[in-house]
Amino acid sequence: MRATSGPRLEEGDSRPPRTLPPVPSFTDDIPLNRPKKKKPRTKNTPAHASLEGLAQTAVRRPSEGTEPPTEELQENLDAPIQRRQKKTRLPLELETSVTQKKISSPTLLRNENGIDMQPAEEAVTQRPRRKTKRPYNRKTQPAELHYANELGVEEEDIITDEQSAPEQQSVFTAPTGISQPVGKVFVEKSRRFQAADRSELIKTTENIDVSMDMKPCWTTRDVALSVHRAFRMIGLFSHGFLAGCAVWNIVVIYVLAGDQLSNPSNFLQQYKTLAYPFQSLLYLLLALSTISAFDRIDFAKTSVAIRNFLALDPTALASFLYFTALILSLSQQMTSDRIHLYTPSSVNGSLWAAGIEEQILQPWIVVNLVVALLVGLSWLFLSYKPGMDLSEELMFSSDVEEYPDKDKGIKALS
Amino acid sequence: MLQTSNYSLVLSLQFLLLSYDLFVNSFSELLRMAPVIQLVLFIIQDIAVLFNIIIIFLMFFNTFVFQAGLVNLLFHKFKGTIILTAVYLALSISLHVWVMNLRWKNSNSFVWTDGLQTLFVFQRLAAVLYCYFYKRTAMRLGDPRFYQDSLWLRKEFMQVRR
Repeated sequence: MRATSGPRLEEGDSRPPRTLPPVPSFTDDIPLNRPKKKKPRTKNTPAHASLEGLAQTAVRRPSEGTEPPTEELQENLDAPIQRRQKKTRLPLELETSVTQKKISSPTLLRNENGIDMQPAEEAVTQRPRRKTKRPYNRKTQPAELHYANELGVEEEDIITDEQSAPEQQSVFTAPTGISQPVGKVFVEKSRRFQAADRSELIKTTENIDVSMDMKPCWTTRDVALSVHRAFRMIGLFSHGFLAGCAVWNIVVIYVLAGDQLSNPSNFLQQYKTLAYPFQSLLYLLLALSTISAFDRIDFAKTSVAIRNFLALDPTALASFLYFTALILSLSQQMTSDRIHLYTPSSVNGSLWAAGIEEQILQPWIVVNLVVALLVGLSWLFLSYKPGMDLSEELMFSSDVEEYPDKDKGIKALS
Repeated sequence: MLQTSNYSLVLSLQFLLLSYDLFVNSFSELLRMAPVIQLVLFIIQDIAVLFNIIIIFLMFFNTFVFQAGLVNLLFHKFKGTIILTAVYLALSISLHVWVMNLRWKNSNSFVWTDGLQTLFVFQRLAAVLYCYFYKRTAMRLGDPRFYQDSLWLRKEFMQVRR
């Protein structure tokens, strides 16, 4: 009979709560079940704590029929017995409280049996209270410290319903008012529990929540995408500016050179200050335009780029033309520097011997004309499909499609 | 996981260095009043390329792919950038040494030979390609897939192994 007392308590989940068995019947049973090493701990336990535990177990029993309450009940009941053995003053006080309990707990439970909804409500309101209460009373006991991990500020920790507190106050001698939410909580920081302000804790958790909410809004992918789009804007500007510059340059050359390059010395004299700055500007704009055009056809994926070029895609053609124009323009660097350093042939140490001006200038003008044509054509080709951007499609958009089945795939592989 | 703010900072630094590189390539020939000016510009340009190489490698080290030991996969994906950057740095240094050597006595002298012109063309073309590939790599490294385990990564790994 006595050996089955534990399991009977466990089954209490489904059955209606029963009255507490009389204390003396437990006292005989305890030495059989209790491990001896727990004895010193109960010595240190204050009478209040044991009483409180007793009270809690009595209240908790209807809702929780698991083993821990049984053990705790035994543990709490164990304390008075040992005290009695040692003949201290405490047992008397405890005995009175136990007898008090003997009277009070059946009435309480009978009440619980009588009223339908009250036990459930009580269990809901009292359970969180127990959680908050523990650390303050037992914070000195290292074995119980892990309970403090549960001290995250949750709604269920804060008791708004104060009906249960006075009721218990009248029944038990246990200290009252502990269930009130206190300003301080003990938080584990670097393996130590430190007192922290509850309000601050709430603030920090709220801040974390806010940052967690903000995070998905702006990812590294978005940064890369925005930079890519910004560069495409710069590229779009440089395409037009380059085309205009190149056309303006060739017009200036033909205007200055005159009909059939009749007066090359005059042209060189006029153009020498313009030659090198324009060459530099042309390189800058050509570089930007070429990079932008390569971006549009995703030049790094060679197979795609070649396929597009063979399909006479306007953007692929434009990038090819830009690259050709860049090579041609760079090949004229030497001549541009020669023009830049022009001095009349009469001056000592002149780079321009008499009679060779036309010979040097003719191919230079032709190359400049070709560059202007290539650049203008590229601009036209690009403006035919201004929205085309394979880099963005291949680098960014296609990746998003892979995400939904990512998790499935990982599970399947693992 | 790569933080957005960190990535933005690194990306802006990379773009700053790239812009400087483009600027020097475009206008260094104009800024040759004194040979020292060109020398300083060239030195900073080469250091900028070196910095960019260091930054891109640090970004590689920061990826999940690298930390998982799949260095080969990273190299396979970005070998174009790595090789091109190395080639560009070599071309730049050689051109700068050559040009400075010729212009050190008189910065406004005509120094061009066919060899120098060829090297110049290749260096400037490599600069454009380097700029394009480097920019693309820097932006691709912003992809969150490089910083977490994914099916994509496993697929890529299987492809490289074959």
